[in-house]
Amino acid sequence: MAQYLPIVIMLVLGGVFAAGSFIGSGLLAPKRPHRAKLAPYECGIVPRSEPPERFPVRFFLVAMIFIIFDIEIIFLYPFAAAAGELGTFGVIEVAGFALVVFIAFAYLVANGALSWGPSRKQSYRVVEERLASKVPTGVRGE
Amino acid sequence: MGAVGFVVLFPLLGFLVLLTFGRRLGDPVAGWLGTLAVFGSFVSAIVVWLARLGNEGHPYVLRLFDWFSAGGLHVNVSFRVDGLSVAMILFVTGVATLIHLYSIGYMKGDPLYHQFFVYLNLFVFSMVVLVTANTLPLAFLGWEGVGACSYWLISFWFERPTAASAGKKAFIVNRIGDTGFLLGTFLVFEHLGSVSFSRLTAGSLNLSPDTATAIVLLFFLAAAGKSAQLPLFTWLLDAMEGPTPVSALIHAATMVTAGVYLMARLSPILALAHTADLVIAIVGVATAFVAAMAATAQTDIKKIVAYSTVSQLGYMMLGIGTGAYTAAIFLMITHAFYKALIFLGSGSVIHSLNGEQNIRRMGALKKYMPITTVTMILAWLSIAGVPPFSGFFSKGAVLENAFGDSPLLWAAGVITALLTAYYMGRLVYVVFYGTPRFEEVTHGHDPHESPSVMTIPLIVLAAAAVIGGLLNLPVSGFGFLGSWLAPVFGTAQAAYPMSAGLKDGLMATDAVVALLGVFLSWRAWGGVSENPALERKIFFNGWYIDAFYDRAFARTGTAVAEVADTVVDRQIVDGAVTGVAGVARLVGGAGRKVQSGLVRSYLLIMVGGLIVMLGYVLTVAAR
Amino acid sequence: MIFANVLSQLPIALPAISYKAVAPELVLFGGALLILLVSATVGKRELPGLYRAIALVAALAEGGFSGYQLYLAQGAKASLAVAGAIAYDGFSAFAGIVVAAILLLAILIGPGFIKRIAGDGPEFLVLMLISAMGATVMAQGEDLIVIFIGLEILSIALYVMVGYRIGDGLAREAAFKYFILGGFSSAIFLYGIALVYGATGTTNLAKIGAFLALNVLTHDGVLLFGLALLLLGFGFKVSAVPFHLWSPDVYQGAPTSVTGYMAAMAKVGAFAALIRVFDIAFAGQIVQWRPIVVGLAILSMVFGALFALRQRELKKILAYSSINHAGFILLGVYAGTAAAISNTLFYLIAYAVIVVGTFGLVSIVQDSIGVSEGSCSLDQLRGLARSRPALATVTAIMVLAQAGAPFTTGFLAKFSIIVSVVEIREYWVAVVAMLSAAIAVAFYLRIVLAMFRGEPEEVEGERVLAIQGAATEAPARRQALAWIGVSLSLVFTVGFGIFPQPLLDLAARAHIVG
Repeated sequence: MAQYLPIVIMLVLGGVFAAGSFIGSGLLAPKRPHRAKLAPYECGIVPRSEPPERFPVRFFLVAMIFIIFDIEIIFLYPFAAAAGELGTFGVIEVAGFALVVFIAFAYLVANGALSWGPSRKQSYRVVEERLASKVPTGVRGE
Repeated sequence: MGAVGFVVLFPLLGFLVLLTFGRRLGDPVAGWLGTLAVFGSFVSAIVVWLARLGNEGHPYVLRLFDWFSAGGLHVNVSFRVDGLSVAMILFVTGVATLIHLYSIGYMKGDPLYHQFFVYLNLFVFSMVVLVTANTLPLAFLGWEGVGACSYWLISFWFERPTAASAGKKAFIVNRIGDTGFLLGTFLVFEHLGSVSFSRLTAGSLNLSPDTATAIVLLFFLAAAGKSAQLPLFTWLLDAMEGPTPVSALIHAATMVTAGVYLMARLSPILALAHTADLVIAIVGVATAFVAAMAATAQTDIKKIVAYSTVSQLGYMMLGIGTGAYTAAIFLMITHAFYKALIFLGSGSVIHSLNGEQNIRRMGALKKYMPITTVTMILAWLSIAGVPPFSGFFSKGAVLENAFGDSPLLWAAGVITALLTAYYMGRLVYVVFYGTPRFEEVTHGHDPHESPSVMTIPLIVLAAAAVIGGLLNLPVSGFGFLGSWLAPVFGTAQAAYPMSAGLKDGLMATDAVVALLGVFLSWRAWGGVSENPALERKIFFNGWYIDAFYDRAFARTGTAVAEVADTVVDRQIVDGAVTGVAGVARLVGGAGRKVQSGLVRSYLLIMVGGLIVMLGYVLTVAAR
Repeated sequence: MIFANVLSQLPIALPAISYKAVAPELVLFGGALLILLVSATVGKRELPGLYRAIALVAALAEGGFSGYQLYLAQGAKASLAVAGAIAYDGFSAFAGIVVAAILLLAILIGPGFIKRIAGDGPEFLVLMLISAMGATVMAQGEDLIVIFIGLEILSIALYVMVGYRIGDGLAREAAFKYFILGGFSSAIFLYGIALVYGATGTTNLAKIGAFLALNVLTHDGVLLFGLALLLLGFGFKVSAVPFHLWSPDVYQGAPTSVTGYMAAMAKVGAFAALIRVFDIAFAGQIVQWRPIVVGLAILSMVFGALFALRQRELKKILAYSSINHAGFILLGVYAGTAAAISNTLFYLIAYAVIVVGTFGLVSIVQDSIGVSEGSCSLDQLRGLARSRPALATVTAIMVLAQAGAPFTTGFLAKFSIIVSVVEIREYWVAVVAMLSAAIAVAFYLRIVLAMFRGEPEEVEGERVLAIQGAATEAPARRQALAWIGVSLSLVFTVGFGIFPQPLLDLAARAHIVG
């Protein structure tokens, strides 16, 4: 167990530092509270809840595409490092992997994941409309 | 003898045709078609019987196909023709034909007319499969089938909540028994290596008495459920919610005797299990007595008859328990005649009084319903055991064997016989004699005799009830049923050496007791319709057995289901539904809290389960 | 330093991949990719006929390969492949056949109904094929990590499919709930793998078995801890009490065709892996894990049956029914003998076909009364026997088959599982199982009664209108393929119920590489 001791000490130190900062600032800082000071805004109504933020889903799609390629690159690096050793076998496997990723990418592009601005692709708009028009159906189905 | 296939096939065809076209055929064609199917089955049964007349000794097995085999277990679909099964199919299809005929009139105008016959034909099919099956699993199929039909038919008038709950009750009680059936089947397979009845006699020789006892008790559990023995008889009373022909066919003549049939079929094993036999005999006689006492105080005409059925089933079990299989089957057959008759007669009364079942509101019906009255009186004398009606011989045979086994059993049986004559007498006097008390039911106009489609079965059954004793007279050379069944039961049948004088004495006692019961009922109920001193509350309430079950078991079960309902369902699941559907948004932030709390509570339960597992692992299992 | 490490491992040992062994996965995944590719390149997004054809071919090919494997496995050629991570034996082949059967039925039944709620896009079939691939990976996984990957492939596709009725709050909630709870259970499962690795030094099942056979652990707490955590993961997937809580909500919220598919596919994958892990690799620990498994089984059987009694929502009733079935199948795992394993396989195929068929029928019913794929109360079934006698009768047969009515595969499945339990002489367990089956019959009969009782006119006029509205869209054409699927499952259920021998023999041939 001895080799874990530094980790434990590190953890304890971290905890002590965090707690110490809080306690220290609480003890040392001057406290002169006032109603106006405690209010979040100088004027206006205090919000009761976080306002909902609309966030276009496309950002997520782009993030997903990024992750897909990220992962592909993570796999390609070690393959590149050992390409000679792996030989034909490695090439086939990596090509298969790249193909799978590429088909996923092609699907995304075909469905307009990367088309910003007003959609021009007929098929995608149809889907969107259908999904939108189905909302009341689902509710009625209850 | 392959005609046994037709015995099974006809009701199945009837069922299928009625299921598909029943609604289009309508009232009354559907009824006639159903009756015809069962009648065809009856005719086939007669053909089988005639074909067998020459060679009673060897059972014939009609093998259709192999069903499945798993491990050493081979199950095929095969039907068995031997004395027992032929006797069963004869009386089952015969009585069923009459009751189908009667139902054509009784169910007239019911919105679900055709469906009634669908169920009824399915029932006859299942019952025939049950009594002709050559393997235990196939018999179980029939056993389940009759149970399901019984459930559907009891709650046939499902608009009445009582009918629905009565159906459920019958179902649950029977399922308890079915567990015994399946377990017994497994035990038989484990020890005999086969589930076929053909191997039963030979294989049972290798059984140890303990194993035999276990097997018999398991099957008796099944039989006690189906045949309404103590302590499982309460469902039969509630089953009277069904239409009266159903009560007559299923809950008097055929299905409830399936338990007795099953025990008789297993007689080679029963012969080895003496402790179990004693248990069966005691349960049987206790059931007979308890139910007879309860019958003396009922005011619902069908309840009286239902208790009477339970009591008679107790007699049959007494016969089984004392090794008198022939006597039990004999009683079963004669009972089918007179009990079906009593039910149909009661149905006739109920029918003419617009559904009234309370005997306090009947009386003096003799004048208006002569055929019903006469047939009912004949049924009464039969069930009471007045010589020379059929009940005298069949009940006498059971009691004689009971005496051979133990005089105590006999004494209890004789007291019950007295009660039987008495309560049936009470029914007859209060319903058909005395003063008319049905004005508020019939609103002035007089009750009427039922149409002939209903009275003909009454007359036929009455004739059978009167002369049914001829089947097995206690005179050498006239014991037809005995010699017919002898190859089936063989050495399993108990034989008690008795002197001729003792036998005569016992018979004389039976006759005297029966007449005494008839006399007592005349003294107590001739011209009287109510007598609190003779109608004790405890008997009216069936010894409070049902109430006890309700407290002890039914409510606990309901409580568990309710907890599931309120906690799991309403709080968690419904809460979630409403939480999402918009209520949550109305309440604002609270909704989100509720919802997040819900998944959390799921997680909490999962973690709770995990902790229990881990606790078990670390404390018990780990080294 | 890292490169030095990598270099020190050279030369790299190349795994010999037997493509024959992973052919089922390749075919399914290839089918999924092909559908995606077609949808992306052809220019027209909705080609339902083509997609369906590709998916059917993939399913049939997978079934064909599995059948071929089962045939091969007879000659004791069963072996491990892909560096010992994939097993290639009769057991996995049989599971593959079950997967193919489920796929076949679900492809026939599902898309026509899904079309009404989410269009004719390729996604549904793609997800279906991918999740089926996850199930085959689980069935073939000879390494805990591979099993985990299979579990995730299966689950993630299912999460999406559950949420297919996007417009409906109930469905969204169900998908989300399933996802969160599924993630939780996956994490615990992974932790269990880690603990097993800690105790035995490997995640490979064959090596674990060999290790445990050779070594006696003086302190097996870590191993058993791991086993308990693995059981939670599997128990969640098969919805065993007390890890079942998601299933009533999810069954209700998911589109009906997805529910049936999910109920079957998740169980097949999870049970196949469960058997391989517990009955083979940890066979030596049977004394320790048996009480836990029997506890889960009994809780599932009893509570599954009890909770369903008072339900009025059809899909929730069927959810509890599947919990009850899970308890039964767990009994097969619990018994653990070779005969019990083949009986479990028989139960799985019987159950899978029945459940897909039953939900397919529910889909047809819902389609006819105008509540596409949503929740469905028992009252909505009232009078079905009057308006659609054939539909009601077939549904009744399938529901009774679930209840274990004789002359259906459902009966034989329950019967043989109980025989297996009796064979290991645990009579009380058999009694509990039978009692639970007895209680369960009550709610199955309630479904049947609901259909055969009452008049369709009794329900408010709205429903009658709904029927007419649905009729104008020519339901017959839409339902034709679904009817083919349902008929296939009916023929299977009743046919093998009456002549089960070929199927029993087939299940008996499915040995596991030991």
